[in-house]
Amino acid sequence: MLFWVIAAILTLGASLAVLLPLAGGSKGASAAGDHDLEVYRDQLSELDRDAARGLIQPAEAEEARAEIARRILRLDNAEPAAKAAGPSTTTRLVATAAVLAVPLISWGFYGELGSPDLPSQPLSARLAKNPADSSVDELVARAEAHLAANPSDGRGWDVLAPIYLRLQRFSDAVAAYRNAIRLDGDSAARQAGLGEAIANAAGGIVSAEAQDAFEAALKLDPANPKASFYLAMGLAQEGRVPEATAAWQKMLSTLPQDSPWRGAVEQALSESANKAVAAGQPANEVDAASSMSPQDRQAMIEAMVASLDEKLRQDPRNAEGWMQLVRSYVVLGKADQARDALGRGIAVFGPDSEEARKFTAFAASLGLTATE
Amino acid sequence: MVEAGHFALVLAFALALVQTLVPLVGARTGNSRMMAVGGPVAVTGFALTVLSFATLATAYASSDFSVANVWENSHSLQPLIYKITGTWGNHEGSMLLWVLILTFFGALVAVFGGNLPATLRANVLAVQGAIGATFFLFILTTSNPFIRMNPAPIEGRDLNPILQDLGLAIHPPLLYLGYVGFSICFSFSVAALIEGRIDASWARWVRPWTLVAWMFLTGGIAMGSYWAYYELGWGGFWFWDPVENASFMPWLAGTALLHSAIVMEKRSALKIWTLLLAILTFSLSLLGTFLVRSGVLTSVHAFATDPTRGVFILCMLTLFIGGSLALFALRASRLTAGGLFHPISREGALILNNLFLTTATATVLIGTLYPLAVEALTADKISVGAPFFNLTFGPLMVPLLVVVPFGPLLAWKRGDLFAVAQRLMAAFAAALLAVLVTALFIDGTSAFAALGVGLAFWLICGALTDLAVKSGFGTVAPDVMLRRLVGLPRSVFGTALAHFGLGLTTLGIVGTLCFGTEKILSMRAGETVELSGQTLRFEGLYPSQGPNYSEDRGRFALLGADGSTTSEITSAKRFYPVRQMTTTESGIKTIGFSQLYLSLGDQATDGSVVVRVWWKPLVTLIWGGGLVMMAGAAMSLMDRRLRVGAPSRRRKPTGAVPSASLP
Amino acid sequence: MTRRQKRLSVIAAGLAFLGAATGLTFYALGQKASYFYMPADLTTASVQPGQRIRLGGLVEKGTIQRRQGATVAFSVTDTQKSVKVMYTGILPDLFREEQGVITEGTFGPDGVFVADSVLAKHDENYMPKEVADGLKAKGVWQESKSE
Repeated sequence: MLFWVIAAILTLGASLAVLLPLAGGSKGASAAGDHDLEVYRDQLSELDRDAARGLIQPAEAEEARAEIARRILRLDNAEPAAKAAGPSTTTRLVATAAVLAVPLISWGFYGELGSPDLPSQPLSARLAKNPADSSVDELVARAEAHLAANPSDGRGWDVLAPIYLRLQRFSDAVAAYRNAIRLDGDSAARQAGLGEAIANAAGGIVSAEAQDAFEAALKLDPANPKASFYLAMGLAQEGRVPEATAAWQKMLSTLPQDSPWRGAVEQALSESANKAVAAGQPANEVDAASSMSPQDRQAMIEAMVASLDEKLRQDPRNAEGWMQLVRSYVVLGKADQARDALGRGIAVFGPDSEEARKFTAFAASLGLTATE
Repeated sequence: MVEAGHFALVLAFALALVQTLVPLVGARTGNSRMMAVGGPVAVTGFALTVLSFATLATAYASSDFSVANVWENSHSLQPLIYKITGTWGNHEGSMLLWVLILTFFGALVAVFGGNLPATLRANVLAVQGAIGATFFLFILTTSNPFIRMNPAPIEGRDLNPILQDLGLAIHPPLLYLGYVGFSICFSFSVAALIEGRIDASWARWVRPWTLVAWMFLTGGIAMGSYWAYYELGWGGFWFWDPVENASFMPWLAGTALLHSAIVMEKRSALKIWTLLLAILTFSLSLLGTFLVRSGVLTSVHAFATDPTRGVFILCMLTLFIGGSLALFALRASRLTAGGLFHPISREGALILNNLFLTTATATVLIGTLYPLAVEALTADKISVGAPFFNLTFGPLMVPLLVVVPFGPLLAWKRGDLFAVAQRLMAAFAAALLAVLVTALFIDGTSAFAALGVGLAFWLICGALTDLAVKSGFGTVAPDVMLRRLVGLPRSVFGTALAHFGLGLTTLGIVGTLCFGTEKILSMRAGETVELSGQTLRFEGLYPSQGPNYSEDRGRFALLGADGSTTSEITSAKRFYPVRQMTTTESGIKTIGFSQLYLSLGDQATDGSVVVRVWWKPLVTLIWGGGLVMMAGAAMSLMDRRLRVGAPSRRRKPTGAVPSASLP
Repeated sequence: MTRRQKRLSVIAAGLAFLGAATGLTFYALGQKASYFYMPADLTTASVQPGQRIRLGGLVEKGTIQRRQGATVAFSVTDTQKSVKVMYTGILPDLFREEQGVITEGTFGPDGVFVADSVLAKHDENYMPKEVADGLKAKGVWQESKSE
């Protein structure tokens, strides 16, 4: 509302700036010749000053004086002064058009460009809001501001790291966990979290680096379920499915009944069972395919990948989707298409974006490079 | 209230259209009311642009990331000063600054132009309005800084670290004050062409504007050069980079204009040439804008590369340069030529100045555009760098500098070269002495160096001779001379100061290029290096944390003759995590007029660091000379003549044009 | 001399001056402009040792070697061919493996390019224009549309 009031006042002021001179009293303008005469007079007096000061020789001064006098004589004083006509039809017409043009052009143009309903959002005002009303993003921003000011607050990093993980800001989570470990020392939860963040940053692949973190966690707490779960996952990803299955089954037997990890482990077990059938295929895509003939299964998987591809063409800003697509093509042995998908994914987010870096790292972990 | 600023910008565009058309029609039909519209509209347009710019600056200062432009070029952790300077540290914001200055100058004409002939004033404001309207349209359609984001991102993407510097805070505004200042000269020229006559007051109006624009442009170029010198860490003060050339060309043409406008004002001669020069100077400013903003060049200044912008600016360039030159071709024959003069005279000297300066401008223009033309025509990529400019620009400048001291001493119409040469004997002797001293005691290996020092002293002493002769040194009693010196017109002082400054800059350039030394070596903590009599000890690398960067500071101790530390110099490698960028902060120690310049390179695995050390004798004079030139321009601006200018209201109460205040 | 002759001689002097300046400018352009090449262009173009050129491409991965003092050796590649470059001095802050770079200098008799200046890309979004165009022409690098 305030905006519309301001806009109206500004428009009114601008229109008046056009209207008032047009409606103002008649004023006779001076002829240009009068102005010239003044300049020549001033030149003459300047010449006199210079001559008196000895800056120029008397002969030169005399010559210059004669020259200025000739210019004055040449002035055509007969030139008529500008008309100070009363309001003619033309004036009225131009006045109306000009005065109307100001609001019409400005409101029309602004209507196209502006976002009149969007208030200013200075950072301080957003940070000062009641935490209960803030979005998670804003809370995170507040925590980040705090940590930027106190970068050695290990507890702060410890709190922030799992939030990053949940927000899928995996590389930030990696940094936060590392800071927490550096400042507050090792703990199984932190090492396991670090491993999870590293793995997720690489699109779910449990890399050697992630394995190191999980193993460190198990050293501190042999019963840490997250570390055990992901290490088994790493085994499965390496193709050592029986060992992975054994590890998960061992977890099931030791985990307490109410552990939230039970569900995840059970799901992983059923997927790895499927995987044993459709070896080498991404587990979650082939649930229904396990009972089909190999040809049908291949066709179905390709159809699924194609539909994912199509979906990404429609809605390209889906980082997880792109990584899934690239992985699918790699798994299908279609390196060219994988590379193409990688390129398209990077193009969507821009080559310098966080996502693009993630894609490149992810692709590299699959043994794929953008250009070969 | 971001949107109010956005609306004010649109409104200013609408007013600029009115400012173009209504006074123009009024001047053609002789309707004084329509002519009178120009003033209030120009002032209101300026006020609206101020509001718009202030809104954007506020959004930057308060990190309002709902404004896309703020989000792209700012970060909440940046120091407040760089948040604010970030307003014009990007394409959109800098274009807004450009129109802000344009409307400011337009408003100045409206406010102080009451004593101009009404039609001239109306036409000038109309041309200003047209330039303004085009730039407003450019901003609104291709480079709108007020595009919003909803929901607002939490954190911004940070300003390019090399732009987070105080030099950047000053450089663009000064440069734009210069560029855009020439728009007034352009508008006056086009207005004169539209009317088909040049008023006697024309030159009196154009000259102060040229001085103002030239003064700021000089400052802008000097500041930019110093910024590049210390921020880029390469230790060079001028790279003949296309973007530098883009600002240097208007400066050269503007310097020519400054001198030809004197002839025009004093002698009513060179009218047509001055008019053309005014058009060319602003055209080169526009060309500079095109080169920098369209992204056709490869340079640090290319914030953005966007073909739609390039095409828009190219159309703008064609419209204004082509239009004004076409108008010139049509109308120039109607303008009357001025007084006659002998080739050896003040006029002749100023024409010589113009000849050299415009030719120099042309060589810079060719050197800058030739690679673009070659690439467009043959797809070959070439670069034209310092070797080309040294070969062409140098030979043009040296003779010009040699004749500079003669100019102010020659009489108008017909001068006596022999008498002037006699008066300059002392200056010549001083220059000769400087050559001998340099060759015998400092460096006898380079004749160029000795002659360069001589040339600089010739300029400096020539400027002093000018003042001495005009105050009657040696011909009148000392007290009379002193009284005369004080009573000299300010413009005489201005000329002498500007030429003195030119001499200082020349001395600085010669000193740095001919006597500078440098060493590149890899150093470990505790090692010392000796360069041109200065001994430095590397104390080691120390990590440190800034507000939005972390850095490794390399500390160096400057050792005195007895081995004790006399002062400390720090050079740092900074890392800006948001943009994942590293910058080098050079370490500079000023000793007299000279500087010791340190730059850190990479750290090797064995703990040693590559260090580059320069000794730059007299280097500060390069920019100091620029400051003196600016002071000269300011001094000239204070000249009574330029302030009185045209007819006073006292004598013509009925002729006064309505005062141009806000309604 | 009559006034007319004087004026003519002044005009003639002016024209002679402009002619000399033009001649000098184009001579300088022919002599001092340095051409830009990518490594693969060098097989077809004849570049003499000692001729000043600009060589652009990507810094080849794993080729950066620091020699004694501040001398650095690295290879510039356009992924088809690569050229060994020697440089003494401080590398720009943005000099990294697999990033665009422009070096300026001359070929030594041993076929090693001795650079006296090295320019790296200036910021995240910016690849030296010549390098980007050159890579695009070779189909190695595709321009990505952001958003």
